[in-house]
Order: sequence, then structure tokens, then C-alpha cells
Amino acid sequence: MEIDTSNVEGKIVTVRLDGRLNMVAAPRLKSEIEAVVEAGATHVLVDLTAVPFMDSSGLGALIAALKKARQAHGDLRIAGANEQVITVLKLTNLDRVLRPYDTVEEASDGW
Amino acid sequence: MDGEYSVRGLAVPETIDLLHSLLAEARADFPEVSEVDASMIEMAIIEIAGNVVQHSPEAETIVYSFTLQVLDDRLVGVLEHSGPEVTGLPEPGMPEDLMAESGRGLALAEAAVHELRHEFVDGQNVWTLVRLRDA
Repeated sequence: MEIDTSNVEGKIVTVRLDGRLNMVAAPRLKSEIEAVVEAGATHVLVDLTAVPFMDSSGLGALIAALKKARQAHGDLRIAGANEQVITVLKLTNLDRVLRPYDTVEEASDGW
Repeated sequence: MDGEYSVRGLAVPETIDLLHSLLAEARADFPEVSEVDASMIEMAIIEIAGNVVQHSPEAETIVYSFTLQVLDDRLVGVLEHSGPEVTGLPEPGMPEDLMAESGRGLALAEAAVHELRHEFVDGQNVWTLVRLRDA
């Protein structure tokens, strides 16, 4: 998986993922978001547009990242999730805490 | 028309991609299998395989073999692997703590297929997953 982080100088960071978010990629994603939050970002947008598949490890990494952002008095939102990712969120009831937004622009509305 | 696909690998994270590739091959050969059915059994298989990788004893090389059957009315995945008998499986259900970072894999697999069972046969752990196809 490729992880591309932009706008790291501000409070809002966009993290674009490209590839499967699985047990190989999950630890890297968690570390990457922890690093940007420790560098001062508080609001994290995770763009899942190019993620064809997510497993429970990937979901765990998003939860860990969400907790990290909230500890910094910020938040984490996800955008561009496909049907498979949305199904994982629904089956695990996590669509209640990780609401899937259609686009990054929509997800960042109000920040 | 039925189809059967097989792959073998070491139970390490990097070989999970072999399963994705095999499932993609089956999807290409059987475009009539619904996206929901294909996606659901893929989710379940990857979760079970992920559990096998995660819980493999460090000092032991665990080998798995996986077979997918595409039948008229169902998709059947069978994952066999070496290693000690898997015991102490958790009760079905998601973690009570919504913010838990792990512990959802087996529950997710169970939710995605119509049948999921584990047996220990001839020294091998055998996981059988059945997804009934949309009519």
C-alpha cells in the first residue's frame, strides 16, 4: 500500500491510501498517523478512494488513529470508501464512529 | 459450470495477497457471481487467514492450503493449515468496546458467510466457509 500525506504543516492532514488496507498495511498506517499527530496535526482526513479492500486489521488501525487524533483534541474522518469498506463498517457497527463521507471535501466541511 | 481454485503458502502476512489473487481469478472466470457474494466470502477468507497468521507460533513454520469452489448455489472456501489445534475460539460477537482496536476478525467472518466451522482432522486445522449465492 502507498500512503501519501499532505498538508502536514497545518492542523488538517489528508492521508491518501492506495492499495489494500490489510494486516500488512495496517501497522504502517497507524504509525504514519501517529507521527503526523505528534507533529502537530489534529484533524485527519483519510482518503480511501483507492482502497479496494479493508480487513479488520485495517479497521483497527483506523480506530487507533481516531483515538490518537481525539487525544490531541482533534478528529479523524474517512472519505471515498467503496462498498466493501462500508460493509465492514456496518457489520462491525463502526459506521457509528467512523461515518463514511463521499468525498474529502465533504468530510472536511466544518473543520 | 463449477470451478475450483487452489493455492498454498506460508502463514505470513505477505502471502495473504495470494488469496486475494486467487479470488480475483475466480471472479474473472465467473462474472455471474454477485459482487456481494464474492466480496463477502473474500472478507471471511481473509479474516480467517489473518487469524491463522496472527496466531501462528513464532517458532513454527505454518503452511496453509486454500481451495475455493464456485458451485451453482454456493461458494465454498476450505483453508487447511498445520500447527497445533486451534482451541479456545472466542464467543461469536463484536467486542463490547466500540473503540477496541482488535478482536473483530472472527465475528466479521461469521457475519459474512452462512456457515463457518473449524475442525481438527488428521493433524490439520480445517476451516470451512460457505456463502450461499444470491438466487
